[in-house]
Amino acid sequence: MNLEKVVFGFFVLLAATLNFGFFIGDMRDPEVHNRYELFAAVVVNLIALVLKFGDRTQIGAVHLATSLVAALQLIAASLVFGYATYVSSAGLTEQSMAAVVSLSGGALMANVVSVVLLVVETVSYHRG
Amino acid sequence: MGNPLLTFWSRRLQQEEQQRRARRARALAAAESAGRASETVFLVLRRMRAPLIVLIAIFSVSVLGLTLIPGADGEGRPVPMGFFDAIYVMSYTATTIGFGEIPYPFTYNQRMWVTISIYLTVIGWAYAIGSLLSLLQDRSFRQALAVQRFSRRVARLAEPFVLVAGFGRAGELLGHSMDRLGRRVVVLDVDSERIEGLDLESFHADVPGLTADARDAGHLGVAGLDHPCCEAVVALTNDDEANLAVVMATALLRPEVPVIARATTATMADRMRAFGSPSVINPFDVFGDHLGLALRAPASYQLLTWLESGPGAPLPPRGSPPRTGRWIVCGYGRLGRELTRDLRAEGIEVTVVDPTPRDDVDDAVVAGGFEPGVLQGLGLEEAAGFVAGTDNDITNLSLAATARSAHPGLFVAARQNRPSSAPLFAAMELDALLVPTEVVAHQVYAQLSTPLLWRFLHDMPARGDDWAAALVDRLTDLCGTHLQALWKLRLTPQEAPALRAWLSSGEARLGDLLRSPENRSDSLHAVPLLVLRGEGATLAPEPDFVLAPGDELLLVGWPAARRALDSTLHVDSVRAYVTTGRRVPSSWVWRKVSGVEHDREPARR
Repeated sequence: MNLEKVVFGFFVLLAATLNFGFFIGDMRDPEVHNRYELFAAVVVNLIALVLKFGDRTQIGAVHLATSLVAALQLIAASLVFGYATYVSSAGLTEQSMAAVVSLSGGALMANVVSVVLLVVETVSYHRG
Repeated sequence: MGNPLLTFWSRRLQQEEQQRRARRARALAAAESAGRASETVFLVLRRMRAPLIVLIAIFSVSVLGLTLIPGADGEGRPVPMGFFDAIYVMSYTATTIGFGEIPYPFTYNQRMWVTISIYLTVIGWAYAIGSLLSLLQDRSFRQALAVQRFSRRVARLAEPFVLVAGFGRAGELLGHSMDRLGRRVVVLDVDSERIEGLDLESFHADVPGLTADARDAGHLGVAGLDHPCCEAVVALTNDDEANLAVVMATALLRPEVPVIARATTATMADRMRAFGSPSVINPFDVFGDHLGLALRAPASYQLLTWLESGPGAPLPPRGSPPRTGRWIVCGYGRLGRELTRDLRAEGIEVTVVDPTPRDDVDDAVVAGGFEPGVLQGLGLEEAAGFVAGTDNDITNLSLAATARSAHPGLFVAARQNRPSSAPLFAAMELDALLVPTEVVAHQVYAQLSTPLLWRFLHDMPARGDDWAAALVDRLTDLCGTHLQALWKLRLTPQEAPALRAWLSSGEARLGDLLRSPENRSDSLHAVPLLVLRGEGATLAPEPDFVLAPGDELLLVGWPAARRALDSTLHVDSVRAYVTTGRRVPSSWVWRKVSGVEHDREPARR
C-alpha cells in the first residue's frame, strides 16, 4: 500500500463527495445548501489541485485540468454567494442561490471526471 | 545490380533514407534536452506541494474557527462572523498587515483564536516563501531556466550563425573577429565562468551562451545544431575527445553543415576524418608549417599571418629565421615532434633536448635544458636557431633567457601556453612566438570569414616571396600598418545590378571598376586580392584584368571604399561615370532632354 496514493485518492474523492453534498437539494432554497459545506468543498478542492501538481504523464495532465475547472467553479460559486449575502441590496434571492448551486453543479461534473480518471488509473494498473 | 537505372534509384532512396534518419535523430536530440529542462520545472512544482497544502490547511482552519466562534456587536448581542469577514480578517492577519478588528471589536473568545491563528499562519507563510526562495536558488532549477532562456534566444536567431563549442581563449578570439565581421555566434562551454564572462565582453551583437557539455548531442541541439540558420560548427574545446564528439554529432545529425575542429594529435585528426569531411586544425602542425614557410619565404609568411589576424590587426614584423645552421629544439612533445619533422624536411640539422627519454627519436639529448652547461655543451654558440617548446611557460621563458644570454645573435622561438603569461613573452621580444590558441583562432577565422580568403591563403605561398613582398608593400601603401576591412563581391545581377551590360561587353577592366565615384582619376583605396571564376582563381589581379559576369572578388581596403564601390554596383549613372568618364543624367526626363542614350537594359528585376 502506498500512502501517497491513499492521500491522493482520499482528497480527490472527498472533493467530489463534499461538492455533491452541497449541490444536492432544491436549487432555489438556501436552507438546504450549507455554506460550511461549500467552504469545505473549496478547501478540499484546492488541496486536491495542489496534490496534482508536477505529474508529467498524460493522465496527470487531465487530472490537473479537471481539478483546475472544479476549483475555479467552486470559487466562482462562493464569490456569488458572498456577493449576494454581503453586497447585493436584494440579499440572498432565489436567483442568486440558483446561480451558486448551478456553478457548484458544474464543479461536480469536473469532480466526477476526476474520480472516473482515478478509477480508470486504478483499474489499468497492473501488479508486477 | 546490373541495371544502372536501378542502381541510381537505389542510391537515391538510400540518400533520402539517410536524410530522413538524420532529421528524426535531430528532432529527438533537441526534444530530449528541452524535455529535461521542463522536467525540472515539474520537479519544482512537485516540491511546492507540501508548503502549499500546509498553507491552505492552516488558512482554512483559521477561517473556519472564526466563523464558528460567535462575536458580539456594540450592545453585546451575539453576532456570528460571516465567511467573507473571516477570510478578510485572516488574509490581512496572516500576511502581517493587520487592519484591526472588524466588523465589531472581538470578544475574548475570538481574540484567543486569532492569537493562535496568527502564529499558525505566520509559520505557514514562512514555510511556503522559504521553500520557494530555496527552489529559486536551486542549481538544477536555475540550469533549467538558463537552458530555456538560451534555447529561446537561439530559436529567435534569424540570420546565419556559427556554433562554437568550447569558449576558451581560441573561442573568444574567434568570437571577437566574427563579431567584427558582423556575423552571429552561439557559444557552448563546460566552464560556467567563461559563459558568465560573456556578459562582460564587448560584443556588438548578442552572443547566446550556455554552460553545458558539448559532448551531449542534446546540448548541441539546443544550441542550434538543428536550426536552419546554423552555417558552421566549430569545436574548440581543450578536450580532443569532446571535439570528436562534436564532429560526430554534426556529421550524423547535420551532414550538410561544415565542421572545423581542433585536434592536437594526428591519431585524433584521423578519427575525426572518419566522419564526413571535417576541417581539422592541429595547432602544432600548423605552426610547424608556418615556420617552414617563414624559413623559405619570410614575406609570404608575413602576409599570411597579417591576413589571418583579421581586420584591425597590425602588420606583423618580417622575421628572418636563419636558413643555414643547426637548430636546438627543447621539448619533444606534440610541438617538438612536428617542428623537428618540418625543420628536417627543410634540410636543417636539428638537436632535440627533452627531459624524458623517447623511443621514437634516437639522437635526443635527455636533459631539461636549463641545467648549467648542458646548452653550452650542445654547442649553443654555433647554433642558428633555438626553440623553447615545452608545455610549461616558466620553463620556456627561462630557456629562452638562458639561450639568449649565451648567444645574443641567436634566433629564439618560444611557445606560450597560458594567456596570463602573454606580457612576459611580449617583454622578452622573441623572434617567433607560438600561441596555440591564437593559431587555431586565426585558422578558423580564415576558413569561416570567406571561402575566398581561405583559397587565397592556400594558393598564395606558391607565388613566391618577392610577389608576397610586393603585395605587402601595396597593402601598407594603401591601408597603413593596420589591416582594414576585408570583403567579398559577387558580380551577379542581384548583387551588382548596374554592371550587367558593362560586364558582358567584354571590356570590363578591374581598374575601371575601382575608381572613385567623386573623381574618376583617383582610384579607390582598395586592393583586389583574388578573382574567382568557376574553379580558377587569379591572385592579386592587375588593373587591366577583364572581369566577366559571375566573378567573385575578394577585396581589402577602407570601409569608405566599400561604400563607394557599392554605389558603383547599384547606381547606373555612377557606374557610367566611373567606367567611361561621362556624366550621365540619372533621371528619365533629363536623359530624354539631353538626348543621352543609356546602355542599361530596360527590363530589370
